[in-house]
Amino acid sequence: MNDKAIVLRGIGKAFSGHVAVKDLSLEVPRGSVFGLLGPNGAGKTTTLRMVMDILGPDSGTIEILGRPADHAARDRIGYMPEERGLYPRMVLEEQLVFMAAIKGMGRREAEQRLGPWLERLGLADWRRKKVNELSKGMQQKAQFVATVLHEPEVLIMDEPMSGLDPVGMDVMREAMLDLRRKGATIVLSSHQMEAVEKLCDRVALINRGEKVLDGSVAEVKARHGKNTVALAFEGDGSFIESLPGVAKVSDHGQYVEVRLHDGADPQPLLREAAGRLRVRRFEIVEPSLHDIFVETVTGKGEEAA
Amino acid sequence: MTAKLWAVVRREYLERVRTKGFVVATILGPLILGAMMIIPVFALRSSSKLLKVAVLDRVGILGAPIEEALRAARFDDKLRFDVQPAGGEPTAEREAALKKAVLEGTLDGYLELPADAVAKGRASYFGRNVSNRIDLRTMERSVSDVLAGVRLAGAGLDPAKVKELTRELDLRTIRLSESGEREDQGAAFIFAVILLMILYTSILMWGQMVMTSVIEEKTSRVVEVMAAGVSSTTLLAGKLLGVGAAGLTQFLVWSLSLFGVSLAMAGPLAGTLPMPEITPLMLVSFVLFFLLGFYFYAALYAAIGASVNTVQEAQNLMWPVMMPIIIGMVAFPAAIEAPDGPLSVAMSMIPGISPLIMFLRIVVQTPPTWQIALSIALLGLAILGVLWISARIYRVGILMYGKKPTFPELVKWARHS
Repeated sequence: MNDKAIVLRGIGKAFSGHVAVKDLSLEVPRGSVFGLLGPNGAGKTTTLRMVMDILGPDSGTIEILGRPADHAARDRIGYMPEERGLYPRMVLEEQLVFMAAIKGMGRREAEQRLGPWLERLGLADWRRKKVNELSKGMQQKAQFVATVLHEPEVLIMDEPMSGLDPVGMDVMREAMLDLRRKGATIVLSSHQMEAVEKLCDRVALINRGEKVLDGSVAEVKARHGKNTVALAFEGDGSFIESLPGVAKVSDHGQYVEVRLHDGADPQPLLREAAGRLRVRRFEIVEPSLHDIFVETVTGKGEEAA
Repeated sequence: MTAKLWAVVRREYLERVRTKGFVVATILGPLILGAMMIIPVFALRSSSKLLKVAVLDRVGILGAPIEEALRAARFDDKLRFDVQPAGGEPTAEREAALKKAVLEGTLDGYLELPADAVAKGRASYFGRNVSNRIDLRTMERSVSDVLAGVRLAGAGLDPAKVKELTRELDLRTIRLSESGEREDQGAAFIFAVILLMILYTSILMWGQMVMTSVIEEKTSRVVEVMAAGVSSTTLLAGKLLGVGAAGLTQFLVWSLSLFGVSLAMAGPLAGTLPMPEITPLMLVSFVLFFLLGFYFYAALYAAIGASVNTVQEAQNLMWPVMMPIIIGMVAFPAAIEAPDGPLSVAMSMIPGISPLIMFLRIVVQTPPTWQIALSIALLGLAILGVLWISARIYRVGILMYGKKPTFPELVKWARHS
């Protein structure tokens, strides 16, 4: 048995002259939580649509669960598109059973599995309501049930956290991790890297249709070294930027992440900060994916220039 | 694959059939239809009000027999005239008084027999309403009979004997068809037009239903979820089959109740009401041409729905698509006039027009079987062609949002997908 849930080999897709995805290769190991990260317009949605055969790639091949991608393979994937959608005039339970049916699950089985899911997401009282009578948040949860009801082995979620309130996010995250414990592979796409960074154990960063880097989160971070300082303080921290050895400052007001030049010693920074500010926290940390991404993309840009 | 198709068909069918609009239209349709067929008949026949008339006789001997004849005159087994007494000589004052009575409304009209009425067979009717054809025809016949009687008596013949010998021709019109003969009392025309209207509206209504449903899937963004489970072809096929089945359900209810009513009325009411004949061929072709017409237009409408974002945007794309069926609707009187004429035959072969015109020809005068078969075959081929193009436009269009594509872009979608 192949240990890869999804393998992309050199896939590309162009729309009337505009290249959306270019020679992209990825491997998603089974049982992992895989983050497909990148800014808006990077090609994430196009890539996922190709995996789901909603779009056909211009070049390259796609393998799902060790087999060339066909419809039977795609039935084993649960897909939640970025643009959520349910039939507005359909009764919730019929809708969800229908969604499972178009993924190849029998009606009776889907009906049996529906109850626990509705209970879990707090939708049990709404099962006989039409979808357009549900609040936006409930529709999101219903969409999640629609994605997982047919018991997919792979879950692909495009921007899963967008439009969710904090409670909804927690419910969703728990449900996802639970599926993962049962052996499911989860692929998330997001442009908000912090939001999914903690969930993922592997990531691929893409920009303008091309892969910028990929690997396990630990690997990626290790590759970029431990030369970031997280500093929380009270006072005016604007001087930090001009200190020697400081490459870049991500300013969040009373909290900054300071990226040091390679090999620079953080001790002078600590001394300066302690002297001029009331320091609440000083920690040498790994850089955030966001910073790594920005750095890699701009670095590449400079190389090219 | 088939299980998925079935799931889509089932969903589409139930979504249409469960609406209030569907239930109301399906039940009310036959009732309205029945009323449309029966009310004019009653309106024409059952006006039981007698026409108040008087006779102004300048001959001198005709007054009494004509009054008597009018009193006894019947149409549809009902007396028609309330004859007022003549009241004296046919003087100028008398005529003025009658005119005044007519204008005042105490009299509906009067019949004037000039002095040479017998010889020349002339009479005049003065009335406020002279368009009540049935009554006037009845009057004409009665007076004519009396005049003929007088002439015959003058020639020394027995009017009763002559009448028996010269029995008037009663021309009945009998429509001949393979299924047998049947008396047609003139309702066939109205009936054909009603059926045509139903066919026309149903084809367009159910066709546009497919378009609306495609647009709704785009608007609610559910189409991408669907596309991840089923191929666009399955989705389109399921939609066409499901909506088509809902349309067929309504259409069958209508057709069968029509058939049932005509059977029921043929028994007890035979002869009293002009029920048009409904042959099994008519019934079958009614349903068949609905289905074929529906699939032809629904496939086009699906492509339109896939290439726009809102129903408003669809409006100007819809007109060219509707042209053939509108041509059929405009041209149908010509086809009734000359169902075998070259124009009718040509139109009954052109896909898009043929569902209306071929059906009409079948109702009016059964065309040769090969023509029916050819018409159906051409329409079937056209449907396949339209489906092929539509499926391609649909495949690209359902995931396109934003700018409405131009016609060349649509052609490109159809060619390259």
